Amino acid sequence: MKNRLKVLRAEQNWSQADLAERLEVSRQSVNAIETGKFDPSLPLAFRLARLFETTIEAIFTDEI
Amino acid sequence: MECKTNNSAVWRFTRRFIVLSLLYAVFSVLSTYGLLLWRPTSIAIWLLAVLPAIPIAMAVLLTGRYISEEKDDFQRAVLVQSLLGGIGATLVVTTAWGFLENYAHFQRLNILMLWPLYLVLVGISYGLVKARYR
Repeated sequence: MKNRLKVLRAEQNWSQADLAERLEVSRQSVNAIETGKFDPSLPLAFRLARLFETTIEAIFTDEI
Repeated sequence: MECKTNNSAVWRFTRRFIVLSLLYAVFSVLSTYGLLLWRPTSIAIWLLAVLPAIPIAMAVLLTGRYISEEKDDFQRAVLVQSLLGGIGATLVVTTAWGFLENYAHFQRLNILMLWPLYLVLVGISYGLVKARYR
């Protein structure tokens, strides 16, 4: 699944570790999601959307 | 197991797993010497034989507990995939080895090597799964 996580993170000037800390997950999790190798669960997707004050659809697209 | 998360489920799991592995080693030695030197009879044989299997059963339960406790989806997925890889590889290796034993006169694989073999293969599987997500 494609996503805009890297862009959103850069806009906040956060490192992967910063984002991981805010989400209470490992940095490896953030990296795997960002690179599209791992799709987050719905609760984590909601946490991301809340953190960036946007919608899940604005972060993730179902394009391959 | 590499992980830097705010929850400590993975560290609790690792610590407890190490303790259980040490317990397995101690119980294996106790059981071996008990059965060889003491030469017990009836129920004592069973008790000594079951002793090293107790930490293995506890390790399986511990793994299940970790999977339910881990809040990081990715870390949970990595462990589950590693365990699946380890189980699959153990089954493949032991099945192939069994045929080699029966029909190609290979050396008999000591069944007590199964748990260490499984752990090694889970370890290899863990490395491969992590590399896939790097």
